[in-house]
Amino acid sequence: MGDELRSTITEDALDRQLREAAPYIHDDGFTARVLACLPPPQRESRSIRSAILIGLTLLGSALASMLTDSGRFIVVDLVRLAQMPFASVLIMTFAIGLLAISGALVAAMAKLQDIRT
Amino acid sequence: MELTDADLIARVLVDDDQHAFGELVRRHQSAVRGMLRQLTRTDLALADDLAQETFLRAYRNIRSFRGEAKFSTWLYRIAYNCFREDARKRKELVGVDEGQWQKELDPHTVDAGLRHDLMHALNLLPLHERSAVMLCCQQGLSHDEAARVLDIPLGTVKTNVLRGREKLKKTLAAWATS
Repeated sequence: MGDELRSTITEDALDRQLREAAPYIHDDGFTARVLACLPPPQRESRSIRSAILIGLTLLGSALASMLTDSGRFIVVDLVRLAQMPFASVLIMTFAIGLLAISGALVAAMAKLQDIRT
Repeated sequence: MELTDADLIARVLVDDDQHAFGELVRRHQSAVRGMLRQLTRTDLALADDLAQETFLRAYRNIRSFRGEAKFSTWLYRIAYNCFREDARKRKELVGVDEGQWQKELDPHTVDAGLRHDLMHALNLLPLHERSAVMLCCQQGLSHDEAARVLDIPLGTVKTNVLRGREKLKKTLAAWATS
Protein backbone atom coordinates (compact mmCIF):
# COMPACT_ATOMS: atom_id res chain seq x y z
CA MET A 1 0.00 0.00 0.00
CA GLY A 2 2.85 2.34 0.97
CA ASP A 3 4.74 1.52 -2.23
CA GLU A 4 1.61 2.11 -4.30
CA LEU A 5 1.05 5.51 -2.69
CA ARG A 6 4.70 6.48 -3.20
CA SER A 7 4.49 5.39 -6.83
CA THR A 8 1.35 7.49 -7.39
CA ILE A 9 2.96 10.55 -5.82
CA THR A 10 6.06 10.09 -8.01
CA GLU A 11 3.86 9.75 -11.10
CA ASP A 12 1.94 12.90 -10.18
CA ALA A 13 5.20 14.78 -9.70
CA LEU A 14 6.50 13.55 -13.06
CA ASP A 15 3.26 14.59 -14.80
CA ARG A 16 3.44 18.01 -13.15
CA GLN A 17 7.06 18.41 -14.22
CA LEU A 18 6.14 17.39 -17.76
CA ARG A 19 3.34 19.94 -17.89
CA GLU A 20 5.62 22.65 -16.53
CA ALA A 21 8.42 21.71 -18.92
CA ALA A 22 6.20 22.20 -22.00
CA PRO A 23 6.84 25.76 -23.12
CA TYR A 24 4.02 28.08 -24.29
CA ILE A 25 4.60 28.68 -27.98
CA HIS A 26 3.91 32.29 -28.96
CA ASP A 27 1.75 32.82 -32.01
CA ASP A 28 4.33 34.87 -33.97
CA GLY A 29 2.10 35.21 -37.03
CA PHE A 30 1.07 31.53 -37.11
CA THR A 31 -2.68 32.30 -36.94
CA ALA A 32 -2.34 34.90 -39.71
CA ARG A 33 -0.59 32.33 -41.92
CA VAL A 34 -3.38 29.79 -41.32
CA LEU A 35 -6.11 32.36 -42.04
CA ALA A 36 -4.36 33.40 -45.25
CA CYS A 37 -4.58 29.79 -46.49
CA LEU A 38 -8.32 29.37 -45.79
CA PRO A 39 -10.67 29.19 -48.78
CA PRO A 40 -12.84 32.32 -49.29
CA PRO A 41 -16.06 32.40 -47.17
CA GLN A 42 -19.02 30.73 -48.84
CA ARG A 43 -21.38 33.70 -48.72
CA GLU A 44 -22.42 33.28 -52.36
CA SER A 45 -23.75 29.75 -51.93
CA ARG A 46 -25.65 30.86 -48.80
CA SER A 47 -27.40 33.67 -50.69
CA ILE A 48 -28.31 31.24 -53.49
CA ARG A 49 -29.77 28.87 -50.87
CA SER A 50 -31.79 31.73 -49.38
CA ALA A 51 -33.11 32.71 -52.83
CA ILE A 52 -34.16 29.10 -53.54
CA LEU A 53 -35.93 28.85 -50.16
CA ILE A 54 -37.82 32.13 -50.67
CA GLY A 55 -38.75 31.12 -54.22
CA LEU A 56 -40.09 27.73 -53.11
CA THR A 57 -42.07 29.37 -50.26
CA LEU A 58 -43.69 31.83 -52.69
CA LEU A 59 -44.49 29.02 -55.15
CA GLY A 60 -46.00 26.90 -52.35
CA SER A 61 -48.10 29.83 -51.12
CA ALA A 62 -49.39 30.54 -54.63
CA LEU A 63 -50.31 26.87 -55.13
CA ALA A 64 -52.05 26.70 -51.74
CA SER A 65 -53.99 29.86 -52.52
CA MET A 66 -55.13 28.48 -55.89
CA LEU A 67 -56.13 25.08 -54.53
CA THR A 68 -58.13 26.50 -51.58
CA ASP A 69 -60.11 29.13 -53.49
CA SER A 70 -57.92 31.98 -52.15
CA GLY A 71 -57.99 30.51 -48.64
CA ARG A 72 -61.77 30.68 -48.32
CA PHE A 73 -61.69 27.90 -45.69
CA ILE A 74 -59.95 30.32 -43.30
CA VAL A 75 -62.90 32.75 -43.41
CA VAL A 76 -65.39 29.88 -42.97
CA ASP A 77 -63.49 28.52 -39.95
CA LEU A 78 -63.16 31.98 -38.38
CA VAL A 79 -66.93 32.40 -38.60
CA ARG A 80 -67.40 28.98 -36.99
CA LEU A 81 -64.97 29.95 -34.22
CA ALA A 82 -66.84 33.18 -33.55
CA GLN A 83 -70.09 31.20 -33.12
CA MET A 84 -68.58 28.81 -30.55
CA PRO A 85 -69.40 29.20 -26.80
CA PHE A 86 -66.96 31.42 -24.87
CA ALA A 87 -65.84 28.59 -22.50
CA SER A 88 -64.88 26.32 -25.42
CA VAL A 89 -62.81 29.11 -27.03
CA LEU A 90 -61.08 29.74 -23.68
CA ILE A 91 -60.21 26.04 -23.20
CA MET A 92 -59.00 25.74 -26.79
CA THR A 93 -56.82 28.88 -26.46
CA PHE A 94 -55.35 27.56 -23.19
CA ALA A 95 -54.60 24.14 -24.73
CA ILE A 96 -52.93 25.68 -27.80
CA GLY A 97 -50.86 28.00 -25.56
CA LEU A 98 -49.75 25.06 -23.42
CA LEU A 99 -48.78 23.09 -26.52
CA ALA A 100 -46.75 26.02 -27.91
CA ILE A 101 -44.91 26.57 -24.61
CA SER A 102 -44.07 22.84 -24.35
CA GLY A 103 -42.69 22.86 -27.89
CA ALA A 104 -40.61 25.97 -27.19
CA LEU A 105 -39.24 24.42 -23.98
CA VAL A 106 -38.21 21.22 -25.76
CA ALA A 107 -36.50 23.23 -28.53
CA ALA A 108 -34.71 25.46 -25.99
CA MET A 109 -33.45 22.44 -24.02
CA ALA A 110 -32.17 20.73 -27.17
CA LYS A 111 -30.39 23.94 -28.21
CA LEU A 112 -28.86 24.34 -24.73
CA GLN A 113 -27.49 20.80 -24.91
CA ASP A 114 -26.00 21.56 -28.35
CA ILE A 115 -24.30 24.70 -27.05
CA ARG A 116 -22.93 22.92 -23.97
CA THR A 117 -21.40 20.09 -26.03
CA MET B 1 -17.49 37.77 -21.61
CA GLU B 2 -15.13 35.43 -23.43
CA LEU B 3 -16.76 33.19 -25.99
CA THR B 4 -16.43 29.44 -25.47
CA ASP B 5 -15.03 27.09 -28.12
CA ALA B 6 -18.62 25.94 -28.77
CA ASP B 7 -19.75 29.54 -29.45
CA LEU B 8 -16.88 30.08 -31.87
CA ILE B 9 -17.54 26.78 -33.65
CA ALA B 10 -21.21 27.74 -33.99
CA ARG B 11 -20.19 31.04 -35.62
CA VAL B 12 -17.94 29.21 -38.07
CA LEU B 13 -20.74 26.77 -38.91
CA VAL B 14 -23.54 29.31 -39.26
CA ASP B 15 -21.77 32.36 -40.72
CA ASP B 16 -18.55 30.81 -42.04
CA ASP B 17 -16.94 33.35 -39.69
CA GLN B 18 -13.20 33.15 -40.30
CA HIS B 19 -12.45 35.59 -37.45
CA ALA B 20 -14.07 33.11 -35.07
CA PHE B 21 -11.96 30.34 -36.55
CA GLY B 22 -8.90 32.57 -36.12
CA GLU B 23 -9.71 32.84 -32.41
CA LEU B 24 -9.90 29.03 -32.19
CA VAL B 25 -6.49 28.79 -33.89
CA ARG B 26 -5.02 31.38 -31.49
CA ARG B 27 -6.35 29.43 -28.48
CA HIS B 28 -5.09 26.02 -29.53
CA GLN B 29 -1.99 26.75 -31.62
CA SER B 30 0.48 26.40 -28.76
CA ALA B 31 -0.77 22.97 -27.70
CA VAL B 32 -1.02 21.63 -31.26
CA ARG B 33 2.38 22.99 -32.33
CA GLY B 34 3.93 21.74 -29.07
CA MET B 35 2.51 18.27 -29.62
CA LEU B 36 3.81 18.18 -33.19
CA ARG B 37 7.24 19.44 -32.11
CA GLN B 38 7.44 16.50 -29.71
CA LEU B 39 6.29 14.06 -32.38
CA THR B 40 8.74 15.37 -34.98
CA ARG B 41 11.51 15.54 -32.38
CA THR B 42 11.73 19.34 -32.38
CA ASP B 43 11.86 19.76 -36.17
CA LEU B 44 10.25 23.20 -35.84
CA ALA B 45 9.66 23.89 -39.53
CA LEU B 46 8.06 20.49 -40.17
CA ALA B 47 6.00 20.74 -36.96
CA ASP B 48 4.64 24.15 -37.99
CA ASP B 49 3.83 22.95 -41.51
CA LEU B 50 1.91 20.03 -40.04
CA ALA B 51 0.17 22.33 -37.52
CA GLN B 52 -0.94 24.58 -40.39
CA GLU B 53 -2.26 21.55 -42.28
CA THR B 54 -4.03 20.42 -39.09
CA PHE B 55 -5.95 23.70 -38.76
CA LEU B 56 -6.79 23.80 -42.47
CA ARG B 57 -8.23 20.28 -42.24
CA ALA B 58 -10.11 21.26 -39.09
CA TYR B 59 -11.67 24.21 -40.94
CA ARG B 60 -12.62 22.09 -43.95
CA ASN B 61 -14.13 19.34 -41.79
CA ILE B 62 -15.59 21.38 -38.94
CA ARG B 63 -19.08 20.13 -39.84
CA SER B 64 -18.00 16.63 -38.88
CA PHE B 65 -17.14 17.81 -35.34
CA ARG B 66 -20.08 16.50 -33.32
CA GLY B 67 -19.02 17.87 -29.96
CA GLU B 68 -18.80 14.39 -28.45
CA ALA B 69 -15.17 15.10 -27.48
CA LYS B 70 -13.43 18.35 -26.56
CA PHE B 71 -12.41 20.49 -29.54
CA SER B 72 -8.76 20.19 -28.47
CA THR B 73 -8.99 16.36 -28.48
CA TRP B 74 -10.47 16.50 -32.00
CA LEU B 75 -7.59 18.76 -33.08
CA TYR B 76 -4.99 16.40 -31.55
CA ARG B 77 -6.47 13.54 -33.55
CA ILE B 78 -6.22 15.51 -36.80
CA ALA B 79 -2.67 16.59 -35.89
CA TYR B 80 -1.65 13.01 -35.15
CA ASN B 81 -3.12 11.84 -38.47
CA CYS B 82 -1.25 14.60 -40.33
CA PHE B 83 1.96 13.53 -38.62
CA ARG B 84 1.38 9.84 -39.43
CA GLU B 85 0.61 10.54 -43.09
CA ASP B 86 3.72 12.71 -43.36
CA ALA B 87 5.84 10.04 -41.65
CA ARG B 88 4.53 7.44 -44.10
CA LYS B 89 5.36 9.74 -47.01
CA ARG B 90 8.85 10.19 -45.64
CA LYS B 91 9.09 6.44 -45.17
CA GLU B 92 9.83 6.93 -41.48
CA LEU B 93 8.16 3.93 -39.95
CA VAL B 94 6.53 4.52 -36.62
CA GLY B 95 8.58 3.13 -33.72
CA VAL B 96 11.80 2.26 -35.54
CA ASP B 97 13.82 4.70 -33.47
CA GLU B 98 14.49 2.26 -30.62
CA GLY B 99 18.16 2.04 -31.58
CA GLN B 100 18.56 5.79 -31.42
CA TRP B 101 16.79 5.88 -28.07
CA GLN B 102 19.10 3.19 -26.69
CA LYS B 103 22.15 5.06 -27.97
CA GLU B 104 21.03 8.37 -26.53
CA LEU B 105 20.02 6.80 -23.23
CA ASP B 106 23.69 6.30 -22.48
CA PRO B 107 24.40 9.31 -20.19
CA HIS B 108 27.84 9.77 -21.75
CA THR B 109 26.39 10.50 -25.19
CA VAL B 110 23.97 13.19 -23.99
CA ASP B 111 24.95 16.85 -24.04
CA ALA B 112 25.56 17.96 -20.43
CA GLY B 113 23.30 20.99 -20.92
CA LEU B 114 20.39 18.76 -21.81
CA ARG B 115 20.79 16.18 -19.08
CA HIS B 116 18.20 17.75 -16.82
CA ASP B 117 15.89 18.76 -19.62
CA LEU B 118 12.73 16.74 -19.21
CA MET B 119 11.57 17.59 -22.72
CA HIS B 120 14.77 16.15 -24.10
CA ALA B 121 14.25 13.00 -22.03
CA LEU B 122 10.73 12.74 -23.46
CA ASN B 123 12.17 13.00 -26.96
CA LEU B 124 14.29 9.94 -26.34
CA LEU B 125 11.23 7.71 -25.96
CA PRO B 126 10.07 5.69 -28.96
CA LEU B 127 7.14 7.30 -30.79
CA HIS B 128 4.33 5.08 -29.45
CA GLU B 129 5.36 5.72 -25.82
CA ARG B 130 6.25 9.36 -26.40
CA SER B 131 2.86 10.15 -27.91
CA ALA B 132 0.97 8.32 -25.13
CA VAL B 133 2.97 10.00 -22.33
CA MET B 134 2.68 13.38 -24.01
CA LEU B 135 -1.11 13.19 -24.41
CA CYS B 136 -1.93 11.65 -21.02
CA CYS B 137 0.71 13.12 -18.71
CA GLN B 138 1.50 16.43 -20.40
CA GLN B 139 -1.74 17.45 -22.12
CA GLY B 140 -3.94 15.92 -19.44
CA LEU B 141 -6.07 13.70 -21.69
CA SER B 142 -7.71 10.63 -20.19
CA HIS B 143 -6.52 7.22 -21.38
CA ASP B 144 -9.78 6.86 -23.28
CA GLU B 145 -9.34 10.21 -25.07
CA ALA B 146 -5.72 9.36 -25.92
CA ALA B 147 -6.85 6.00 -27.34
CA ARG B 148 -9.24 7.86 -29.63
CA VAL B 149 -6.57 10.36 -30.71
CA LEU B 150 -3.98 7.68 -31.41
CA ASP B 151 -6.54 5.21 -32.78
CA ILE B 152 -5.22 2.33 -30.68
CA PRO B 153 -6.86 0.13 -28.00
CA LEU B 154 -7.26 1.53 -24.49
CA GLY B 155 -5.08 -1.22 -22.99
CA THR B 156 -2.21 -0.33 -25.37
CA VAL B 157 -2.38 3.31 -24.29
CA LYS B 158 -2.17 2.32 -20.62
CA THR B 159 0.81 0.03 -21.31
CA ASN B 160 2.58 2.69 -23.36
CA VAL B 161 2.06 5.34 -20.67
CA LEU B 162 3.34 2.97 -17.99
CA ARG B 163 6.42 1.94 -20.00
CA GLY B 164 7.11 5.51 -21.12
CA ARG B 165 6.96 6.77 -17.53
CA GLU B 166 9.32 4.02 -16.37
CA LYS B 167 11.83 4.82 -19.13
CA LEU B 168 11.60 8.53 -18.34
CA LYS B 169 12.32 7.85 -14.68
CA LYS B 170 15.29 5.63 -15.62
CA THR B 171 16.69 8.26 -17.97
CA LEU B 172 16.36 11.00 -15.36
CA ALA B 173 17.90 8.74 -12.70
CA ALA B 174 20.81 7.91 -15.03
CA TRP B 175 21.40 11.61 -15.73
CA ALA B 176 21.21 12.44 -12.04
CA THR B 177 23.88 9.91 -11.09
CA SER B 178 26.28 10.68 -13.97
